[in-house]
Amino acid sequence: MSDPVLVIGGGVAGMTAAVELADSGISTVLVERGASLGGNALDLYKAFPTDDCFYCFEGNRWKPGIRKCFYRSTMLDQPGVDLRTGSTVESITGTAGRFEAKIRSDPMYVDPRKCIMCGICLERSKAFSLVSPQCQPQAVIYNPRAKDAGSDKAETDCPTRAINLHAEEKSEVVRVSDVVVTTGYREMRPVAVDEYGYGKIADVITQLEMAKIMDPNGPSQGALVRPSDGAPAKRVIMVQCVGSRDEKFNPYCSKICCVFALKHANIAVTERNCTDVTVVYMDIRTYDRHERYYRDARNAGVDFVRGRVQRVSPTPGGGVTVIVYDSLLNRYLSFVVDLLVLSSALEPSEGASKIMESLSLKSASGFVAPLNPASENEVVVGDHIYACGTALGPAELPESVTQARAVVSKILQSRR
Amino acid sequence: MVESDEKTAIPQTLIEPIDMSRLDPKFRDEIRSMPDGDELTACFACSTCTAACPIANQWDYKPHQLVRMILLGMRNEVLSSREIWECLTCFQCQERCPQKVRVTDIFFDCKNLAAEGGKIPEKVALLAKELIEKGQLYVVTADWEREDLGLQASVPGLSVDYVRTALKDTRAGRIAGGGK
Amino acid sequence: MPTYNLYMGCSVPANYPNYEAAMLKVAEALGMELNYMEGVACCGSPNLRAIDYYGWLLVNARTLAIAEQNHHDIVTPCNGCFGSLKDVLYHLKHHKEDMERINASLKKDGLQLTGRVRVRHIVEAMYTDVGIDEIRKKITKPLDGVGISIHFGCHLLRPVDVTEFKPEILQQMVEVTGAKVVDYPLWKQCCGATVLPVNEPLAIRLARDKIKSMKEAGAQFATVVCPACGNQLDLQQLGLKQSYNETYDLPVLLYPQILGLAMGMSRDAMGLGMNRVAADSILDHLKG
Repeated sequence: MSDPVLVIGGGVAGMTAAVELADSGISTVLVERGASLGGNALDLYKAFPTDDCFYCFEGNRWKPGIRKCFYRSTMLDQPGVDLRTGSTVESITGTAGRFEAKIRSDPMYVDPRKCIMCGICLERSKAFSLVSPQCQPQAVIYNPRAKDAGSDKAETDCPTRAINLHAEEKSEVVRVSDVVVTTGYREMRPVAVDEYGYGKIADVITQLEMAKIMDPNGPSQGALVRPSDGAPAKRVIMVQCVGSRDEKFNPYCSKICCVFALKHANIAVTERNCTDVTVVYMDIRTYDRHERYYRDARNAGVDFVRGRVQRVSPTPGGGVTVIVYDSLLNRYLSFVVDLLVLSSALEPSEGASKIMESLSLKSASGFVAPLNPASENEVVVGDHIYACGTALGPAELPESVTQARAVVSKILQSRR
Repeated sequence: MVESDEKTAIPQTLIEPIDMSRLDPKFRDEIRSMPDGDELTACFACSTCTAACPIANQWDYKPHQLVRMILLGMRNEVLSSREIWECLTCFQCQERCPQKVRVTDIFFDCKNLAAEGGKIPEKVALLAKELIEKGQLYVVTADWEREDLGLQASVPGLSVDYVRTALKDTRAGRIAGGGK
Repeated sequence: MPTYNLYMGCSVPANYPNYEAAMLKVAEALGMELNYMEGVACCGSPNLRAIDYYGWLLVNARTLAIAEQNHHDIVTPCNGCFGSLKDVLYHLKHHKEDMERINASLKKDGLQLTGRVRVRHIVEAMYTDVGIDEIRKKITKPLDGVGISIHFGCHLLRPVDVTEFKPEILQQMVEVTGAKVVDYPLWKQCCGATVLPVNEPLAIRLARDKIKSMKEAGAQFATVVCPACGNQLDLQQLGLKQSYNETYDLPVLLYPQILGLAMGMSRDAMGLGMNRVAADSILDHLKG
């Protein structure tokens, strides 16, 4: 029996790698620090290129019984995948082929194998919540800091005795043969790009924040509303390249934000009744087949202004007033809008650098770089160490999945 | 604009294109070789500089257009423009440029080149004269005000000699000497 | 007792001796020793840089070299001088050939520039070397929370890699006096001083927009740390009646005047009578 493979990060790439390895007879330990799998894709509503929601991009897409109306969670039942949510990899030592990974896990207050999502604990106590109706594993989570009078009753009332409020943190050292880094990306919080007022003005948000607002599972059930007062947001301005292609922040292009910004613009106009949506850009980079988002957006009435923002001020009463320089018209334009959405740079996940350091991985702008760029083995980042998905850099979902499959292929080859 | 009057195969139309062969392709290298001009070619014409500029609305040539003109080689137009002299030197453009093009510094270089060619606004040329003659731009005249405040009538340690002599040998001296 | 090379430039002594006097008195009370530099004069302002880059380097490099003879930091009350000295130092430190060329010229006077001298604005030196807590101890007549808008000035704030000045410094220095800092949308915008010789109406418009923005935000006073900015906001404000038919009545105080008054110094010592827009009303806001 050989050692399992460690997959760090349970987003789309991590789940695909874990499941496909397991299906090929190689057991994996899938470590995810959040309470739910899914990573950034969990609550984005529609994902390009197919405009499906995240669920269809799970690594186990073709498995029967993945529909969310089933209370059982496929990832928990997947043979060969040892799923550890609420867990982080504290350290990795050892040598290639014989790594020792120390995994620390949050206390298991709710056992996902037992939770049947009946909702009784949610009624008893505000400390219990559901990360998302699409969460994987399908189980509620408990926040000990929000413990209130009803929490103990929730524990006793749980029909399957899934709740244990006295659970403790666990730490375990696991020996693994290979490590797959799938730590993903995070969207930059563009506070330092102070001309936009992000962090100071409530109605200035990022694209991923907008996606979450428009997600029907979100706090406003998908209605596009202003954070400042909850009023419907009908007029939106988006600004591209915030913190990307910028020598002061991230010099690279974040690749996919033109595509998803236009995806959002289209949703805003065609589904959320927005009356005015304007995209302020330096270049529109809807590469490849995604050019259709650009054409569709123009047809739907989205305005495109090639230029940059002069000034952003909060409008008294809510919303923002934005002055933009239009470099094609050569005039300054002033817009009164409900929402200013920043296409903020996509950066490596927090904590990825720690993993990269402990494994001595090469870095390309902070993302994991291939061990040998000339070899075109994009996913090989070390001896028995692989990376796939957005841990390597901004990427589309199908790319992440393809890379994960490449990792599986390399691991299988290495075990022949 | 530079017009094409050479005998070419292109027929005469209303389009009146700028004849690129009449522009100075070395102008961009000239600016690049001047202080802080090295990132000039990194400009990708995003127009952030123009968006950031408080006064560009007053200009016929906006900051990003001037940079473009430098890159294309429109030396005469740039160096004879009123715009470069109206630059506030507030550095907002330079601060916000995503490609670290030192726009304000480049405009300073353009002004230096313009001055070298004798194109300076009159009042600025007068400043050069002031410096050569007096060694400072502002001379203390109301010394009683200084005394009322308990200060010495003349500024301790002040010595205008160096400024006056040093600038005689540099371009300021040539400008002040009336040489154009 | 921290000791400094005091570089006054030519504008403050000629146009704002009250700024000079207030600064000296406050510095003395804070235990800072400011020594007027010997053998220096004008920095040329950005206008010299525009017409004669090399001459500008020379003139300012010499000032820097003189300061290096005694190992003390240069402090200056003028943004223009601060900007010039900082810019020249930055440029020479990053361009060896120019540094060598300048040094060859300075050698004739027995001076050499290594680049180790530090150039600081007097306000930053007070903040960093004396410290807000020490300054607070010396406040005997704090202001009553009166609203003051700060005009920082472009050459103090930018380019950031050259000036290395954080706006919070001046904000805290104003707050320690008991005043309330009034933010206004145009706080970063230029006062227009540099363009005054070239396009006077434009400069006046910029000054007016700043004052208008401050007033609309609710400021009762404005403060500056530069004689050129002072000239724009203070002296030019009087002319706005004619050019725009607008009166703002926004007294413009040089920062050390505010601090000095809060430290118990007199109106005359601070030269309040020399401010062009009558500034005596600040005295009504001193407590104790």
